Amino acid sequence: MLELDHLSKRYGDLHALRELSLTVREGEIFGFVGANGAGKTTTMRVVLGVLEADAGSVLWNGAGITFAMRRRIGYIPEDRGLYPKMTVLSQLEYFGRLHGLRRQDARTASKQWLEPLGLADRGDSQLQALSHGNQQRVQLAAALVFSPDLLVLDEPFAGLDPIAVDAMSDVLRAEADDGKPVVVSSHQLDIVERLCDRVGIINHGQMVATGTVTELTDRGPLRFWVDVPGAAPGWYGGLPGVSLVEQDGTRWLLELADAAGEQAVLRTALAIGPVHEFRRDRPALTQLFRDVMSGKAIDE
Amino acid sequence: MNSQALIRVIAGREFGTRIRARVFIVTTVLMVIAIGGYILLQAYVFNKSTTALDVGFVATTQAISAPVRAEAASLGVTINVHPYASFAAGKADVEDKTIDALVSGVPTATIVTVNESLDPTLQTVLNDSVREEVLNQMLQQHGVDPTTIDNAIAATSVHVHELSPIDAARVQQIVIGLLVAGVLYTSLVIYGQLVAAGVIEEKSNRIVEILLATVRPWQLMMGKIIGIGLVAVVQVVIIAGVALVLASATKLVSIPTLGVDVVINGVVWFVLGYLMYALLFAAAGSMVSRQEDVSSVAMPVIFVLVAAWIIALTVAAPDPGSTATTVLSFVPLFSPVIMPIRIAAGVVPLWEVAISVVLVIGTIYVLAAMAGRIYRNSVLHIGGRVKLRDALGLPPIEQGDTNNATT
Repeated sequence: MLELDHLSKRYGDLHALRELSLTVREGEIFGFVGANGAGKTTTMRVVLGVLEADAGSVLWNGAGITFAMRRRIGYIPEDRGLYPKMTVLSQLEYFGRLHGLRRQDARTASKQWLEPLGLADRGDSQLQALSHGNQQRVQLAAALVFSPDLLVLDEPFAGLDPIAVDAMSDVLRAEADDGKPVVVSSHQLDIVERLCDRVGIINHGQMVATGTVTELTDRGPLRFWVDVPGAAPGWYGGLPGVSLVEQDGTRWLLELADAAGEQAVLRTALAIGPVHEFRRDRPALTQLFRDVMSGKAIDE
Repeated sequence: MNSQALIRVIAGREFGTRIRARVFIVTTVLMVIAIGGYILLQAYVFNKSTTALDVGFVATTQAISAPVRAEAASLGVTINVHPYASFAAGKADVEDKTIDALVSGVPTATIVTVNESLDPTLQTVLNDSVREEVLNQMLQQHGVDPTTIDNAIAATSVHVHELSPIDAARVQQIVIGLLVAGVLYTSLVIYGQLVAAGVIEEKSNRIVEILLATVRPWQLMMGKIIGIGLVAVVQVVIIAGVALVLASATKLVSIPTLGVDVVINGVVWFVLGYLMYALLFAAAGSMVSRQEDVSSVAMPVIFVLVAAWIIALTVAAPDPGSTATTVLSFVPLFSPVIMPIRIAAGVVPLWEVAISVVLVIGTIYVLAAMAGRIYRNSVLHIGGRVKLRDALGLPPIEQGDTNNATT
């Protein structure tokens, strides 16, 4: 389990991190979202020890993280980088050996990672001969080749096509299922929503919301889509605390003041005629993210 | 995984990729060709034309062939005498280059026929011969026996009184010392700059961040320095090996005159000097992010090396035993270039060498700590040049301080 405990970091007058705390459990993919400059990269660099925090601590399984433990982290930094003139295989082998694998084991592990990432026939190509997407896959392979205990990936999906995103998502899911905590930052909120078990929204160096995607979207207003073909306008009028948000043909989006009214709405609708749809409307993560960024409070 | 093993992996990559790189193979081959070609040229073209000449003598001039041959031999030129009955037969042989020159006419008015130009030594010898013949003829006309005069002349010579005689062996030693120093100086400049450029490689490839999440900055720096150092050793050994084999095969020099001590002298000072300067070059290189900026940060370090070489040429080589040379040879940054000259000249007691080695090793330790610090503070900084003060991790200078130099 990875815990960040009240991390603070300043660059001159800029507060990059303010008392930021978060926890990532084994087997969990944690999505880290926030605007540019919100502090995602700074947080990840502090976890990796590339940067030092001014205050706060990073804990791994309850104890302060050491350099030896940090060497067990698979990392994709925001600034991508590999040796352009080395071949894919020798590159991966080098990273394996830097993490303590024997030459033969490093070679075997490198070859094993080419297949799931769709690079099986590129092992002997120089990195610079590969497309951007394939270089990114090699970058992930370099982070995985030594079987890390924890993955920290800064924008791993940036610039990838949907197929590459799927390939990478599958690999990350498999790694998490293997019991590893995985931390992913991304701007692509649809991917985060699909892939991540829990999400943290960071703004100006502070964690403003954390939880599962469902937990977070639950914090929005309570709204239901009701599809009742026979209903007349204002059919919900007799119900207390129910108001119309929008109407789309026979579909009505109603906002409820409290959860208790939910079954009353359904009963009223059924009394009118057959109900084709009765569904909780959750705001997309994107909407939630916009609300956070525009300063709308999210109640904890 | 311990530091040693990590540094070995890093140095191994550095060595492996560099030794296979086209630039290494091309430069090594070119340098072998250049040095090999020079040695072969020395041995076969220049030496041949000055050591042995085939000279034809027509009719009466055959009388002077023996004294000409003797005098040429004393000047280091062997003359093979070919007698000819007629000028025409000799001229034909000059034309088809069977002989180098044809001497005709009479002893007091000699004509030399050559294809292109007359060998200068042969010309001097023949001029002397003609003058002597003319002089002898005149003397005889005046009733003087030339033999008496010849004997009198032969018996006298200038007596040279040498106030400070030059020991030929010692000159040879200084030349060898200067050669060792020159090779050290050149390779420190070349490989030092390779280290500076190599340090930037990780920064410009942006790979440094993953590496620093895995290894300590000083481990990365040492791995790089050792890897490039091994490449340097391989290249120098190949080039020097080819040069020595060719030089001894063509009898230009005999290997024993170079001696084992010279080789040890060179190797020890190369290792020490390389470590010391590579650390400086690595620290300098880490302060910039782009290959174009290497030369600007490497300049101050190269400046120190050039200063050491100028001292070697102007102070140490002319007088290896002087106080100035002795003092300067103890300055750690100058030692690798100046000590080899003193050692080769045989003017330095062993304890002085030991002290200077200890001083250099101490400097390497200090520089390693300093370079490691600069490297750590600069290496993640991508973009403009890092100020030396920031790189050393010193607190910023108060505003208005005019001494706010950046490097």
